[in-house]
Amino acid sequence: MSPSTFAPRPRKAPELVQLGVRGGTRHDILVALAGNPNTGKSTVFNALTGLRQHTGNWPGKTVTRAEGTFTHAGKRIRLVDLPGTYSLQAGSSDEEVARDFLLFGEPDVTLVVLDATRLERNLNLALQVLEITDKVVICLNLMDEAKRHGIAIDPAQLERELGVPVVAAAARQRVGIPEVLEKIEGVASGRITTRPFRVRQHPAEVEAALAALVPEVEEAFPGIPNARWIALRLLNADARVEDAVRAGAIGGIAPADGADPAAGARVLEAARNQRWRLSPTFHDSLMESIYAAAERIAAASELRGLRKGKFDLDRTLDRLLTSRRTGLPLMLLLLAAVFWITIAGANVPSRLLADLLLGTVHPGLKGLAAAIGTPGWISGLLLDGVYLASAWVVSVMLPPMAIFFPLFTLLEDFGYLPRVAFNLDKMFQRVGAHGKQALTMCMGFGCNAAGVVATRVIDSPRERLVAIITNNFSLCNGRWPTQILMATIFVGALVPAHLAGLASATAVVGVAVLGILAMFLSSWLLTRSALRGEATSFSLELPPYRPPRVLQTLYTSMIDRTLIVLWRALVFAVPAGAVIWLVANVHLGGASIAEHAIRLLDPVGILVGLNGVILLAYVVAIPANEIVIPTVLMLTVLSGDMSGGAGAGVMFELGTPAEVGTLLGAAGWTALTGINLMLFSLLHNPCSTTIYTIYQETRSVKWTAVATLMPLVMGFTVCFLVAQLWRLVAGW
Amino acid sequence: MVNPLVALVVFLVVVLALGVVFWPRTGLAARAARRSSHSERVRVEDAIKHCLTVETAGRRATLESLAGALEIPRGEAAKLAERLTELDLARAEEGALALSDAGRQWALRIVRSHRLWERYLADRTGVEPAEWHAEAERLEHQLSEADAERLSAMMGHPLVDPHGDPIPTAAGDLPAARGIALPSLPPGVSARVTHVEDEPAETFHRLVRAGLTPPAMLTRLEAPGNRVHVRIDGVEHEFDALAAGGVTVEPLAEGEEGDTVTAHATLASLAPGTSARVLRLAPACQGPQRRRLLDLGVVPGTVITAEFASAAGDPVAYRIRGALIALRRRHAEWIVVEPMDGEAAA
Repeated sequence: MSPSTFAPRPRKAPELVQLGVRGGTRHDILVALAGNPNTGKSTVFNALTGLRQHTGNWPGKTVTRAEGTFTHAGKRIRLVDLPGTYSLQAGSSDEEVARDFLLFGEPDVTLVVLDATRLERNLNLALQVLEITDKVVICLNLMDEAKRHGIAIDPAQLERELGVPVVAAAARQRVGIPEVLEKIEGVASGRITTRPFRVRQHPAEVEAALAALVPEVEEAFPGIPNARWIALRLLNADARVEDAVRAGAIGGIAPADGADPAAGARVLEAARNQRWRLSPTFHDSLMESIYAAAERIAAASELRGLRKGKFDLDRTLDRLLTSRRTGLPLMLLLLAAVFWITIAGANVPSRLLADLLLGTVHPGLKGLAAAIGTPGWISGLLLDGVYLASAWVVSVMLPPMAIFFPLFTLLEDFGYLPRVAFNLDKMFQRVGAHGKQALTMCMGFGCNAAGVVATRVIDSPRERLVAIITNNFSLCNGRWPTQILMATIFVGALVPAHLAGLASATAVVGVAVLGILAMFLSSWLLTRSALRGEATSFSLELPPYRPPRVLQTLYTSMIDRTLIVLWRALVFAVPAGAVIWLVANVHLGGASIAEHAIRLLDPVGILVGLNGVILLAYVVAIPANEIVIPTVLMLTVLSGDMSGGAGAGVMFELGTPAEVGTLLGAAGWTALTGINLMLFSLLHNPCSTTIYTIYQETRSVKWTAVATLMPLVMGFTVCFLVAQLWRLVAGW
Repeated sequence: MVNPLVALVVFLVVVLALGVVFWPRTGLAARAARRSSHSERVRVEDAIKHCLTVETAGRRATLESLAGALEIPRGEAAKLAERLTELDLARAEEGALALSDAGRQWALRIVRSHRLWERYLADRTGVEPAEWHAEAERLEHQLSEADAERLSAMMGHPLVDPHGDPIPTAAGDLPAARGIALPSLPPGVSARVTHVEDEPAETFHRLVRAGLTPPAMLTRLEAPGNRVHVRIDGVEHEFDALAAGGVTVEPLAEGEEGDTVTAHATLASLAPGTSARVLRLAPACQGPQRRRLLDLGVVPGTVITAEFASAAGDPVAYRIRGALIALRRRHAEWIVVEPMDGEAAA
């Protein structure tokens, strides 16, 4: 920990306004969208913006930012989605981002989404927002959920209490959206005036300090609407607010010419004097008064007396899914079902895609190229290299992901996944991780890049890093073919024929389980060493169950998860294909680069029980695990000067495992090679798509490097040890 | 092909060598780093900090106390005292060391750095409470004045460290701890803890484990001889006068009521289906976790119902302000509650 790691940069006045508001398209109304996590905020966002969205990152942070623009009643509206937060006390990056945008980004209207089923807790954020700005519209969402749970809220009463427009909505069914738009336009244009509720009753000592400080603030910044909030933040010694006061750029009031810079300094001095008088835990009592107000308002607005039906579905489901006897078995059953459906369902489409792209289109393209007289090397580079690699990635990657992700998203929509994290958290606690890592680990079995993105649900920094770095140990889709092939050929051959199928299946499952164990071990190591001091906090909210919307889910999971990951993978596969072809076809001093490399890597390879071909294949196939086996086969034929194969630099695969076995056997592969390839395939560096995604999510070269090199070192070590022990036992 | 036995032996030798050099704390690299940091400046700073601590408690620093506090032989302490005099940081007066003004200013800066670091470790990192003091001891010497100011600003200029001690301002102001030493508290009187000496570390940890951190309330009980008996949260503890001397307490004001008799329950002890009202968050709960609990509505006065436990028994789902939140047992033990009779809140 060095002192240089924490120096915050004081912001200059013009910069404050620039905070995150992209230039470019003009807008008439800027709307900020705030709310607790899990309130259907993203549904509201999608309902308002449709697909006209742009996702990126908040400047200088690893927090995702989404914004969209649309037109309503002739005005262009830009909607900025703030991170879901419980509060605006700026304890985490998410809260800082949200608070900064509301304070310095100057939205015209702030739309706060509240969950009708958890009104009291949600009011905490709403009340804090109301302290900052007058121009607020409340969207009381999930009214349909509330009705199902026997909760009825009177929006009119809530509006009277809060002093700002309240719209009852059920964004999933698009109920209430037009009214929300109308209110937004009304507040922005000034047609609707608001008289926001402000928490008046703070603890006595805080009120006394405010009584002394607020006049100073109002004197220094006349006409400012939220003097009380500013004074409160100054009492909390909030660095950003202090900077803004010092610079005179608070609440959109630009410093007038000849503004008195001493005014800001006076305010800060007064604040400092008041702070010494307060007891150290006054912050706690502030939260108390906010919640006291929230309780009162919720009680006044909720219509009690509505009894739920005798049969409380939620309670019954929870009892079933989390009890000691039925919870774990049901969970294993569900997850096994998801995996089985994925594997069984993806088989045929994968075959069909492969036959189409590789068996039909490829020869067709080659024929066409020859017909128009394309030089051999161009045809080879583009069609045999680039096209083949991409086609392979698509046919192996797409079908399983297109089944796995929607299934997973359905479970998520239903509300079941937090219960999985709930059940498994104890195990993860012991190694310093978060129960939700079980979920990201499962996603990783589909695709590691998607698993890394999924870690966004973990809001504690340390646990999130652990989940990101160890995600690679989940055996992703692209590695299953390698595992199954090697197990069939080499493990199956070690046992009597009638047990071969069982043995190879056990071996593959064993490798997957080994991966899970490696994940636990490395989590434990990381939290004890490199991640020892990182900030950590735990909470897990269990949202109410809700019926999943099947079609909507299929659509969004296709776009959000499947296609985006596929696109990234293709982007990396294209150069990989080119490199593979070039490596095999560019000759230096009589032999291709590939042959030189293989000869160079052979000693190292054999030391660890692999060989030069495998090592080279892993180097050039870093972009995608799917093309490792085809590359291995191509390189084997090339370096061994054998017949078979489809030409230099052309990846291929053979019809049956037996044929592959013969080819590899002829090239000198032994059972050790096969088994070590299985181990190395599990324990090597992440594919380049995943490395890129890790960098995007962490914005840290250091952690990306750790995530890349740690599994590689583990892989080499394990293979080395296995090789030596095998040779000792089996005789070398 | 390499002989596997040879390969394994070489591998083991390499791993052992790496371990010897890089093992945390006891490895050669760690020891070398520690040696270089035990420079003279560090010794001097530790010495003047000791003088300041002792003077604030109303006593005088002697060679014996210096040697004891820094755990060095008396001869070295004498040499160190000489060095302090040379540097004009302290004067030798009647067998004791008195800080000069320059010495006091410097010592205050060290104390400021130390307490700022403890606050940082508590608020922004996941370092265990038992390690805050030791880490801060190490880090306090590496912080320049400007960096200290930046650290303070980043955390919102905190007023007290996680043990309740005030943090000296950049200008060098340090409000005196209010109150009297615990052994001076008459039996039968209740008081609030305002300060606990963090040296020696052993005693400090014992006091913290017993619950004697600000702003805990205690009642002194009758006890024979030099022993100090106190009751906190319904539990009785016993200390010798020396250990208790490190605790400063402030008798409760007129009309202030303190309850040290009832042993309070924690949320962790709540059986599923029962409710309780939150009294407070334990002082051990600091940093991001405390903020998260407050944000979720775990504030004094909130009624929480334990709903059900997970398949593994931990965490447990609680209904807090209308939402179902799962908390780990470790954190539920930090929430002091008052059980409510009757059915769970609907």
